[in-house]
Amino acid sequence: MTVMREIEWDTCLLEPLEVPELERRARRETGRRDRAIRYFAGSSWVEDALIALSVDLETRVALDAELADLVGLVVSQDNSCRYCFAVMRAFLRGLGMSERRIQHLEQNLLTADFTPRERAALDFARRVSRSNPPPTAADVEALRAHGFAPLEIAELAAVVGMHLFFNRIATLGAWPPGPMEAMPDQWWIRLLRPLMAMRLRGIRRRVAPQRLRPEETPGPFAAVVEMLDGLPLARTLRTALDGMWASDVLTPRARALVFAVVGRQLGSSLAEQEGRRLVLAAGLSEPEVDHVLAHLTSPVLDPVERIVVPFARETVWYRPAQIQRRGREVKEALSRECFVELIAVTAIANAVCRLAGVVRFCG
Amino acid sequence: MSPVTLGLLAALTALAVLAGVAWRARRQVARLRERLESAAADLQNLQLAFSRFAPDEVIERVIAGGAKRIGEKKEATVLFADIVGFTAIGERLEPATLVGVLNGYFERMSDAITDRRGHISTFIGDGILAFFGALAPNPWQCDDAAHAALAMREAMRAYARELEAEGLPAFSIGIGLHRGSGVAGLVGSRELMEFAFVGRTVNVAARVQQLTRELPGDILVTEQLARGLDPRFRLRRLPATRVKGITEPVPVYAVDGFDDEAADPSESTRSISEE
Repeated sequence: MTVMREIEWDTCLLEPLEVPELERRARRETGRRDRAIRYFAGSSWVEDALIALSVDLETRVALDAELADLVGLVVSQDNSCRYCFAVMRAFLRGLGMSERRIQHLEQNLLTADFTPRERAALDFARRVSRSNPPPTAADVEALRAHGFAPLEIAELAAVVGMHLFFNRIATLGAWPPGPMEAMPDQWWIRLLRPLMAMRLRGIRRRVAPQRLRPEETPGPFAAVVEMLDGLPLARTLRTALDGMWASDVLTPRARALVFAVVGRQLGSSLAEQEGRRLVLAAGLSEPEVDHVLAHLTSPVLDPVERIVVPFARETVWYRPAQIQRRGREVKEALSRECFVELIAVTAIANAVCRLAGVVRFCG
Repeated sequence: MSPVTLGLLAALTALAVLAGVAWRARRQVARLRERLESAAADLQNLQLAFSRFAPDEVIERVIAGGAKRIGEKKEATVLFADIVGFTAIGERLEPATLVGVLNGYFERMSDAITDRRGHISTFIGDGILAFFGALAPNPWQCDDAAHAALAMREAMRAYARELEAEGLPAFSIGIGLHRGSGVAGLVGSRELMEFAFVGRTVNVAARVQQLTRELPGDILVTEQLARGLDPRFRLRRLPATRVKGITEPVPVYAVDGFDDEAADPSESTRSISEE
């Protein structure tokens, strides 16, 4: 854990709100106690999205659960998310993976003893996660060559997307990683490990493919939702995007701009075009959108949008301490509810825009 | 001693020897594993440190297969900066003082560049070569580079005041910026290799920087770069000038400042004054 623990990490940027009913609901639906939900209490669509995504993270349709765990570990490491990496480490330790094996994966990812199939999946996960350069048809072809079925490929992309979302939620909010990093080494946790393994296996589910109803596909980023059709995430994403678009905390224009900017930075034409379409629908003219996307500012932007737009760009690739320092400045300029929503919107935009980059190869 | 006792002794001895060998082998394996893990941790740390100098993918390819022919065509912005009259300053100062002054300068300029997503390629004497958009795609590279140049100018003015207060000679800098295509990759010899952006774009930026000695302006940009700038940058068109290695005179603009609160910074109302 040396390297992950050495990553500079700011103190938490979010103030938790004590809402016992929300915590009870989260525990009931996810099967585990996760107090991080308190940071987003008060923003109903974010609360719903966090709970639903936590459930989806443990729900497999076609992909092997152990492979999905490895993907989570690798994506969290790749995004330098200390909190998520610590969660994955605690989870894998709880399931019986040795600390030595985890350390080996952390330090020797390039040379670790994966099977060729696992290696192909992890290479794909990292390509989608980094998107620098964006994934190509060859990346998906490599998966097919190792026997991955179309639904497995979509699920692999979905797992990466969910981890990208959680990585950003946790890093941009600077959730304290300390307790989670220390947890697996506590004597009582070690003592109760067999029981914990049973409990953790208990929250895992395997379900049959779930097709979307025709009325569930349309809406923002329909192509991405459609790519995930068959997976629980398709419905969760549709609900989250619709909930986000119905929220009145940030303006629809500000949210659409976040997607357009993230899409442009990632070089994903589908994401940028969809973001641009949403910005136009929210009332900006073509030349105004061109100007904002060319310079990340415009006199037509309101004061909140002037903060949100350049910040969105910085959430694509970052060093944690750097983005957290920037986040602190942004937080000072916004209300709590605006800041909380901004973190969630940028997190979902980063996941969706990266997934948009593989739509044409996975469809 | 009875044959049974002898046999027992021999067996015990053999067992002890075997146990000793096994124990030594185990210890050796543990030691090797420890060294392997330490080497892996070092590698990871190195990888982390190198990510500031080259794209992650390049670093991984180097680790996986050695540094062989890694190059990619890219569109990037090049920044060249140089101290005006450095030779004269160098002659007036003690070596230790000169190094201190230079390090203070490099530190301030590096911050101004990296804070705006630039990547310093190399320090050449008192010069700085930096790139925007060579390591990772950057659709806003022109604005970033021009903002970095303005921040360098500000930092330089503050540094000059500090130097004067200490009784040391103050100096100024000239900066040239150009945007264009080139090849980003690992270049060098077996002994010294670096991630660099090479091509005509770098030469043009260097020539434009030299024009700061002849033309009225300490930050000069080419037309290709000016076209990509936020209209709130205050530009001054300078006479097109011939530079070494380029047949046609190069149209250049001086960057005078940035109007953060400009009322209508649309492309059509860009503030360009004539020299």
